[in-house]
Amino acid sequence: MTRKKKEALQGIIYILPSLILILSFCIIPIIMSGYFSFTSYNIMTPPKFIGLENYAKVFKDSYVVDAAKNTLKYVVITVPIQTFLSLTFAAFLAYKMQNKAGGAMRSIMFIPVIASAVTAGTIWRIILNTDGGLLNNILGVLHIGPVNWLGSTSTALISICIVAIWKNVGYFLVIYYAGIMGIPKDLYEAARVDGATTLQQFFRITLPMLKPITYLVVTLGLIWSFQVFDLSYLMTGGGPGRATVTLVMGIYNAAFKQYKMGYACAMAMLLLVIVIVINAVENLFFKEKKEAR
Amino acid sequence: MSAQAVKMKKKSSWSVASVIGLLFLLLFTVICIAPFVYMVIMSFTQSTTLMITMKEVHFTDFTNFKYVFGNSGFFRSLMNSLIVVGCSCFFNCVIASMAAYGFEKKQFPGKEALFKVYIATQMIPGQVTMIPVFIIMKKMGMLNTYFALIVLIINAFGVFLIRQFMESVPDELLEAAKVDGCPEYKIFLQIVIPLIKPVLISLVVFTFVTSWNDFLWPLVSTTDSDMYTLTVALSLLKTQYQTNYGLVLAGATVSFMFPFVLYVFLQRQFVEGIALSGIKG
Repeated sequence: MTRKKKEALQGIIYILPSLILILSFCIIPIIMSGYFSFTSYNIMTPPKFIGLENYAKVFKDSYVVDAAKNTLKYVVITVPIQTFLSLTFAAFLAYKMQNKAGGAMRSIMFIPVIASAVTAGTIWRIILNTDGGLLNNILGVLHIGPVNWLGSTSTALISICIVAIWKNVGYFLVIYYAGIMGIPKDLYEAARVDGATTLQQFFRITLPMLKPITYLVVTLGLIWSFQVFDLSYLMTGGGPGRATVTLVMGIYNAAFKQYKMGYACAMAMLLLVIVIVINAVENLFFKEKKEAR
Repeated sequence: MSAQAVKMKKKSSWSVASVIGLLFLLLFTVICIAPFVYMVIMSFTQSTTLMITMKEVHFTDFTNFKYVFGNSGFFRSLMNSLIVVGCSCFFNCVIASMAAYGFEKKQFPGKEALFKVYIATQMIPGQVTMIPVFIIMKKMGMLNTYFALIVLIINAFGVFLIRQFMESVPDELLEAAKVDGCPEYKIFLQIVIPLIKPVLISLVVFTFVTSWNDFLWPLVSTTDSDMYTLTVALSLLKTQYQTNYGLVLAGATVSFMFPFVLYVFLQRQFVEGIALSGIKG
């Protein structure tokens, strides 16, 4: 065996375990999911091909429509707010508080990130409790409420959004903070010599330099938000009524409560399309950015 | 005032806007930590209402924790989570570093194309593959096994993460070892692995948190209560003991403590792991 061939063989052997796993639990399942989405399948009997029927049904199913609306609302509320907060906090910490106190704040803000959604949901469900929940107690001092946070259709989804934002800001803050620290210091020096204020420096230097990071933060934020499940499953179970059902909850219920695997796969494929579109748009922006340079 | 302090003062002037900003930041910091403090405090109370005063908090009374651990189901779930997390971390490191080494240091046709496929798979949401994987596992009789819980944690992210780091391992070093007649597996185990230790720690941290906090897949793939992971058990504790808030929060405290302690000790690796995953675009 030539040396080249031997090396190629070695390379393939090293890659093989991961390749088997990725093939069996990612690539093949995607193909299966695509196929099942055109079938009626309840696991017990073999899948029956029904063409586009599942997709036609998905768009008419009022549960799915509600789930899609809620998910969209959740995305529209969560992503801009968490992006804005993480960026401003990161900028403030980087400009004004590159000291121990700032470091401690960054460390603390990361704590909600490491807690599981189950832990976070469990705590917040109790904090948001109508009778005697911590938040209503605090608001009671200000003579507000009591508010039925999770039990009323007007506040349940917002409450979940707030918890999600609370949980995500620390993560994106770390990314933004690292990004700001990576901006060459002499840019700021030059701006200061020219008499630019802090605010001007932020809008003229920091923000443009952080563009690629903002794309990333928004993309990740969008993708995660479209996949929201844990928090709403734990805090409200989708209720009251359908006020907090989400797309993934729809997939979960169809597949594992009603065993409509084909139908659930059709929903899952739609979720995949959403994610692919978000990524494609991000890549488009990225390319534009690279070419502009 | 030292010269440096004067310089610092000049550099950052604290305007009214900055003070307001600082107050917001402080408020948010408090909001980030307060729920966890509340969780720990409440886990030391015995009450079916939330209307409690600090007088009802007894930090020496571990009744809730004893109950949680005495409750065989919950303890079993804790063990399950530890086993699953341990194995996930180990196998993810082994499989990902092997693949990363293959991709970075070996030449074979179609390598870069295959790597692109690996990266593309990272984009696919777990909920999309979950249903067919569930069906595969069911047909194989693998539901309710550690295998099912572990295997899905391993994905292309680790390969990508380690490959980036492996660029810094000099080819000359590996070449020299080969010339000296060092067998291939020894080059990998005794030269490459020690050199990539820092990134392996980052991957362990990342895998630990992902696996420990995973909820939807364990919820779907475990129907036998003996196989529940901690997140599933905690979600059930919540429905079983609705108003026994102290008990539910004791469970939450236990499940939170493990990643939290890891975070306290390996803070830098947590942050680095994220910064690295952040740059993947």
